[in-house]
Amino acid sequence: MKVKIKQWNAVAQWRWDTGNKDAADDEEGDVCGICRVPFEGCCPSCRVPGDDCPLIWGECSHVFHMHCLLKWIGTAASKQQCPMDRRPWATAERRVDNAPPPTT
Amino acid sequence: MDARLRRVTREIADCKNDKTSSIKIETIDESPFHLKGSFPGPEGTPYQGGNFEIDIVIPESYPFQPVKMKFITKVYHPNVSSASGAICLDILKDAWSPVLTLKSTLISLQSLLCSPEPNDPQDAEVAKHYMTSKASFEETATYWTHIYAGGPGSKDAKQLNSGDDVAIAGLEHTHVDRFVELGFPKAKVVDALRRLNYRGNNIRNIPDDRVIEELLK
Repeated sequence: MKVKIKQWNAVAQWRWDTGNKDAADDEEGDVCGICRVPFEGCCPSCRVPGDDCPLIWGECSHVFHMHCLLKWIGTAASKQQCPMDRRPWATAERRVDNAPPPTT
Repeated sequence: MDARLRRVTREIADCKNDKTSSIKIETIDESPFHLKGSFPGPEGTPYQGGNFEIDIVIPESYPFQPVKMKFITKVYHPNVSSASGAICLDILKDAWSPVLTLKSTLISLQSLLCSPEPNDPQDAEVAKHYMTSKASFEETATYWTHIYAGGPGSKDAKQLNSGDDVAIAGLEHTHVDRFVELGFPKAKVVDALRRLNYRGNNIRNIPDDRVIEELLK
């Protein structure tokens, strides 16, 4: 039997690589702790998820929507601490597991 | 839908769906920002068997500002005002974090009932009572749980009539009666002895003259 493909539709799905492989098993793991919206959604001030509403990683390994975290860090009450562990917030380099080695 | 409304709606729904938790959150009127929480008193404490209701107000900039909570149910505890229900707890003030939720904050209040901090009191008179005689404090807290939070009374409390003002103040009948016999009105004696912390070993430090001076004020 021969099949002739006349037309096809591509379907793609994306997720942020939060570095937390168990996120799917962990109910709380895949939402931003500040706004409680999934990482794949956007922070409450944005309309479109994706590169315009990225995530931010702390050196303490906690992840938030960047806009949510910056809003919190901007308040005096935050004392510039991570909302999860109250350590001084330090933004980490984004960790990408399968990143190709840098070419220079 | 604004961020605050979205988060609060989600939190209320999550709490409703969690059948294993003893924490309840419900709306009072049409406003989603004025709520009522409740939880059972922790086992093995004077609050055991009682149900404690909390008034919850969600501020404009929640979750970047702490939620406002106070006890609706009267509770006898060093970190809770026995008059207003105001609570002294760090996470409701400067230790707030936006990752805390209504449910986790209510759980913190429940655990505050297990571990009073008399050195950082909200109600100084209750804290003094706690530090002078823990046994007498616990008897009073149990009595309050019995009459205000619907809890079972201790053996002593059951023998008393509901709403005994001497027991509510955490005092002994024999002490109150001694000054009432001198001709002072009972309510005034109860007030004075409570202010002076007339309990346990502290009684030795308070001569009768001092009590009478307080009564004549």
